[in-house]
Amino acid sequence: MNEVSDIVIFLGRFHPLIVHLPIGFIMFAFLLEILSKWKNLKELRAAIPYALLFGAITAAKACLLGYMLASSGEYDGPMLDGHFWFGIATTAFTLLAWLISIDKIKFIKLASFKANIATLTFLVVLISITGHYGGNLTHGADYLTKYAPFGEKPQKIAPPKDVNDVVLFDHVIYPILEEKCMSCHNPSKKKGGLALDNAENILKGGKKGLAIVPGDIEKSGVFHRVTLNHDDKEFMPPDGKTPLTEEEISLLSFWIKSAKADFSIKLVAAEEKEEILKTALAYLNMGEHAKETLPEVQPADSIAVAKLANAGFTLRELVYNSGIYDVVLPSKTAKSSEETTKLLEQLAAIKNNVLWLSLQDNQVTDTHLKTIAQFKNLKQLYLNKNAITDKGIAELKAIETLKSLNLYGTEVSKESFASLVNFKNLQNVYVWKTNVTNEDVKEFEKQNSAIKLHLGITK
Amino acid sequence: MCDNHEHKKLRSNNRDLQEIEKQIDRRHFLKKTSLGLGALAFSSLLGTEKLWANINAESSPEEILNAYNKNRLGLPHHLPKAKRIIYLFQSGGPSQMDLFDYKPKLTDMFGKELPESVIGGQKLTGMSGAQSTLPIAPSTFKFQQYGESRAWVSDAMPYLSEVVDELCFIKGMQTDQINHTPAITFMQTGNQLPGRPSIGSWLSYGLGSDNENLPTFITLVSKNGKGQPLKASLWGNGFLPTEHQGVQFRSGKDPVLYLSDPENYDGHDRRHMLDYLSHLNDLQTDSYGDPEIQARMAQYEMAFKMQTSVPEVTDISDEPEHIFDMYGKDSRDPGTYAANCLMARKLLEKGVKFVQLYHQGWDQHTHCPGGVKNQSKKTDQATAALIKDLKQRGMLEDTLVVWGGEFGRTIYSQGQLTETNYGRDHHPKAFTMWMAGAGVKPGFSYGETDDFSYNVVKDPVHVHDFHATLLHLFGVDHEKLTFKHQGRRYRLTDVHGHVVKDILT
Repeated sequence: MNEVSDIVIFLGRFHPLIVHLPIGFIMFAFLLEILSKWKNLKELRAAIPYALLFGAITAAKACLLGYMLASSGEYDGPMLDGHFWFGIATTAFTLLAWLISIDKIKFIKLASFKANIATLTFLVVLISITGHYGGNLTHGADYLTKYAPFGEKPQKIAPPKDVNDVVLFDHVIYPILEEKCMSCHNPSKKKGGLALDNAENILKGGKKGLAIVPGDIEKSGVFHRVTLNHDDKEFMPPDGKTPLTEEEISLLSFWIKSAKADFSIKLVAAEEKEEILKTALAYLNMGEHAKETLPEVQPADSIAVAKLANAGFTLRELVYNSGIYDVVLPSKTAKSSEETTKLLEQLAAIKNNVLWLSLQDNQVTDTHLKTIAQFKNLKQLYLNKNAITDKGIAELKAIETLKSLNLYGTEVSKESFASLVNFKNLQNVYVWKTNVTNEDVKEFEKQNSAIKLHLGITK
Repeated sequence: MCDNHEHKKLRSNNRDLQEIEKQIDRRHFLKKTSLGLGALAFSSLLGTEKLWANINAESSPEEILNAYNKNRLGLPHHLPKAKRIIYLFQSGGPSQMDLFDYKPKLTDMFGKELPESVIGGQKLTGMSGAQSTLPIAPSTFKFQQYGESRAWVSDAMPYLSEVVDELCFIKGMQTDQINHTPAITFMQTGNQLPGRPSIGSWLSYGLGSDNENLPTFITLVSKNGKGQPLKASLWGNGFLPTEHQGVQFRSGKDPVLYLSDPENYDGHDRRHMLDYLSHLNDLQTDSYGDPEIQARMAQYEMAFKMQTSVPEVTDISDEPEHIFDMYGKDSRDPGTYAANCLMARKLLEKGVKFVQLYHQGWDQHTHCPGGVKNQSKKTDQATAALIKDLKQRGMLEDTLVVWGGEFGRTIYSQGQLTETNYGRDHHPKAFTMWMAGAGVKPGFSYGETDDFSYNVVKDPVHVHDFHATLLHLFGVDHEKLTFKHQGRRYRLTDVHGHVVKDILT
């Protein structure tokens, strides 16, 4: 492709700005036409020829600038041709419509009014088609329909089931490129002549050279550009778009260097994979590196939360805007068991929103644990320093999500163990200063390795 | 009589102040056009209502509203592991090779010159840089492996060796500073020059309080400390609002002075007095928008609440004998490191988010073996007891414990080296810290130094990385917790820092 001078491209980039003027003018003319007919406001009709004239002039300008922009070579394919021809057609037809509106061209058989509305309607159709092509060029062909409720979704690569299934390019590298690069580097909008949507295009590179050189990160244009100083004008993605994270860069580097930019290699088959395995799995959110998932809950009713706070609870949201709370009833807030009952009833209003709950030293008894058993998202429960017995623990009915249970200073004994083993995810139970003895703990841990009982210094 | 002052607005002719006045008008609009709980519903529409609902039974609807409106920071960014932290700062720079960083190969190199290749052209301090010789001084302490994690600990710390399976050692710590004041300032604020907010202030600013009756950030300093001075800027708020600074409790019988009412005054109308005072201060805030006025009001309120909360929390008389025995006999002597550890546990139990302990005396330029032994004796038992105590109460699960100084010490002897005695100079390129509890791997050791404990050869952790990791454990993305000051946004880690994911559970 011939080199185009900078000034041409500079001017060309005003195309997306100027292009909105004819759209406005033409739509305005159309609107005036409709209004004048519908509301019978004849005086409006005087403005229509002017709107069309300005529409034609600006459309011509937009065509010229559009041609300049296209000469940069960043856009390509049938999409561009469509946009080009429909743009010219729109311009020509606007001119025609103007001529009709000032009665320079007379249709013998049709009254001029009808000719006007016909040309204008046709213009709106033309402009919509042109605009659609233009939008596809700028944002990518699937931009409009990607989240549409109808139509088929683009075929997704099936997510890997386990580590052995992970294909390095398909599951790790492609999603990075898709998220961070492909809005500008796709088959219909090849910025810098580069598309990154498939192996062939990636290896072909762009106008500035090779995008990926297997085994050599230094020579790989993509890698070079994403690792430049953020202020560098060559840095990719450009200003205003999200740069690659460190993890993404290290994954990309690994793929190019150690995996020799192999498009079909499996993660487990790559050489020196140990160094990257952790990052890759964390990126894929797999295995032990999977992020702790938060339960999906309805946001807590803010009035209920305010009332709870007024009643003496301390509530804090554990993750901003997640609706998930850490709830603490400060020690000795409840003076009697009845008060605790009332407080817990109130707390039950947000029972699914509570992840951590502390009720230490607050007159909690066995009956209260029935209420707490309904808190189905609890992970951490402090019940220490309350007169709770083994019966109460049975009432908890094995809250599935519970990971940590603090029973220190309660009246539980080894009888509770039978209930504890039913808790699916329980890891730590604190039983210092209870009726549980050292021997009980040893006995229990012989049979159960999943749950750890913590005694502390036995006194 | 005094409630009838007219609430007249002063209007400024300064453009910046006018901006503030406009904001205040908006706030008043929200407050006054919407009443009580209805306002809450409205503010929830605006998405501003959820952060720290730190409000208690006595809160008025207006206070509740304010508490909710505090949420403009969008924190925490992710699910936190830690709810509170105790930072046991060992000021002076504990000698890593005499405590945890075992270097057995050095026994044969006693007195030999430290190779230039190890020093690598590093600029030494004026204290030992002019020495004609830099003889290697192997540790005189005996090392042994302990626990299931087989962690090396010297015989200086017999108590700590019992709890190594709870600890996560970071042996490749690195700092930029070689002198005490810049190094400790760097460690506590992320910058070598005083004036930036300390770690505790950032956490207080970002996460708010869990107990409105006590300060969020409390500092305790071991009494009779000798060595490099500690100063308030280490727990200062820097440019953050003043109420986020660390509140230092005095080391002694009376941790906070003047809490009791003066003679012949029973305090019955203090509430009324404070209300009127805050009314007057409100007028000033409305006129000038100076955040320091609000900070002052917050401090008055806090002082008022501390009149009841502090005597309760600092009273250790109800602790059983065996707890005192566990922390050691010093724990009965208020103001010692051991007593501070015990009080720190009580503060954490009450919902204080950040307790910062300082213990001075780890600056062993001379008589290192004796000095290390001496300081270990003062701190070892209580440190280990604190870990055990938090553990048995189930609190180690969401409490982070940090132990460490501002830098390490050199393997070569400063001053004369004998069979039984040596001194060690400051060393920023490698030192050991440990963390325990919430979200860090127990019984784990991360990072390695070379055979001279001089350079980090594997997994270095810079002070900025340490800060990033610490914030991460609290659910805070260190790159997102920022504060705009003098035209730019600041963070604890400024433009550095990586979360050390390898030490996280």
